Amino acid sequence: MVFVFAENYAQEQPKDSLITKEKDTLIYKTNAGIRLGVDISKPIKASLDGVYTGFEIVGDYRIKKNLYIAAELGYEEETSSEFMVSNSTAKGNYIRLGINYNAYKNWLDMNNEVFVGYRYGFALFDQTLNSYTPNVSDADNGNYFLAEPVANPVTAKNLNAHWSEFMVGIKAETLKNLFVSFSLSYKILMSVKEPENFKTLYAPGFNRIFESNTGFGFNYTVSYLIPFTKK
Amino acid sequence: MKQTILILLVSVALFSACEKDDFCTQNPVTPRLIIRFYDDTNRETTKRVQNLVINSEANSDTIARYNGVSTDSIVIPLNPNALETIYNFSKDGVVNQFSINYDIQEEYVSRSCGYKIVYTNLEFSSPTNTWFTDFTPKTLLNLNDQTTAHVQVFH
Repeated sequence: MVFVFAENYAQEQPKDSLITKEKDTLIYKTNAGIRLGVDISKPIKASLDGVYTGFEIVGDYRIKKNLYIAAELGYEEETSSEFMVSNSTAKGNYIRLGINYNAYKNWLDMNNEVFVGYRYGFALFDQTLNSYTPNVSDADNGNYFLAEPVANPVTAKNLNAHWSEFMVGIKAETLKNLFVSFSLSYKILMSVKEPENFKTLYAPGFNRIFESNTGFGFNYTVSYLIPFTKK
Repeated sequence: MKQTILILLVSVALFSACEKDDFCTQNPVTPRLIIRFYDDTNRETTKRVQNLVINSEANSDTIARYNGVSTDSIVIPLNPNALETIYNFSKDGVVNQFSINYDIQEEYVSRSCGYKIVYTNLEFSSPTNTWFTDFTPKTLLNLNDQTTAHVQVFH
């Protein structure tokens, strides 16, 4: 489908797509501008998973032939439930800023990407410990005493997290100036403000924080390129 | 080069996804009380209690592994829902009550292990000695050391 489109595209705008520089060297230029979109995986996740809501706006801008500055801005709320141990809800806002490098050599004037990226992420959020059960499991004694659950919500406000993120992804121009993108990211927490006598288990924009202070992310975005120049 | 980066990232992702923080490997999380039984006349040597049966006032069930055993040391839990646990130590059918009073604090351990209970300012007492002759100490700050006995009981 991309190929079909690419041919059409080439036929539609042959004049300004081709610039003759030297006798047999053609440089194909493609639209450049601000590309804005939304992550559609988050509303899908929210509809499937009752303990999650999230929304993310994405944008990027091409500064060089293969280099983009990129940013994501969002809100997430998620309840982490650890079986028989604790139940907590984190909610707040985040921003991720960084660059994408397109490693894909496009055919002619196609504008697709296989990219690697880096992001610096920052989140500001609250985390509420909804309930917990002290862990008195004692298999040796056949769990002789069982602890009663404690449901006395405690909210830690104004928590924050800073992290670094490495990502790989693909972007394809499916319709003129309309892009669909998938990416995966690996995140390393640089600092996090922990609640008293508890831990930050989830940070908006970061996702679940693993014991090693790392995390994973997935984005599925649809974005539109507002063209105002060619590069 | 680019492929290498991609493969590297994917494999890091796969390996790290199997991190162990889904399972609490610390067992038990909440410390237990360790009691060691000694000979009353020769106080340096341990002495087995024959036909020991243990249950408590809060839970009349017998602890399965201490139902008619012969042992010189026991590891038992404290009641997390009260500030006192009263145990009935029965030796050959003769009951000696042993009560433990304490304060309770809850301390966060980890995602999978959750909160442990920290028992502090423990006070031990035997209201009426039947087969116990003595025990030491009478008080203890906490149960944090889970490698040695907290209480020595002489009989």
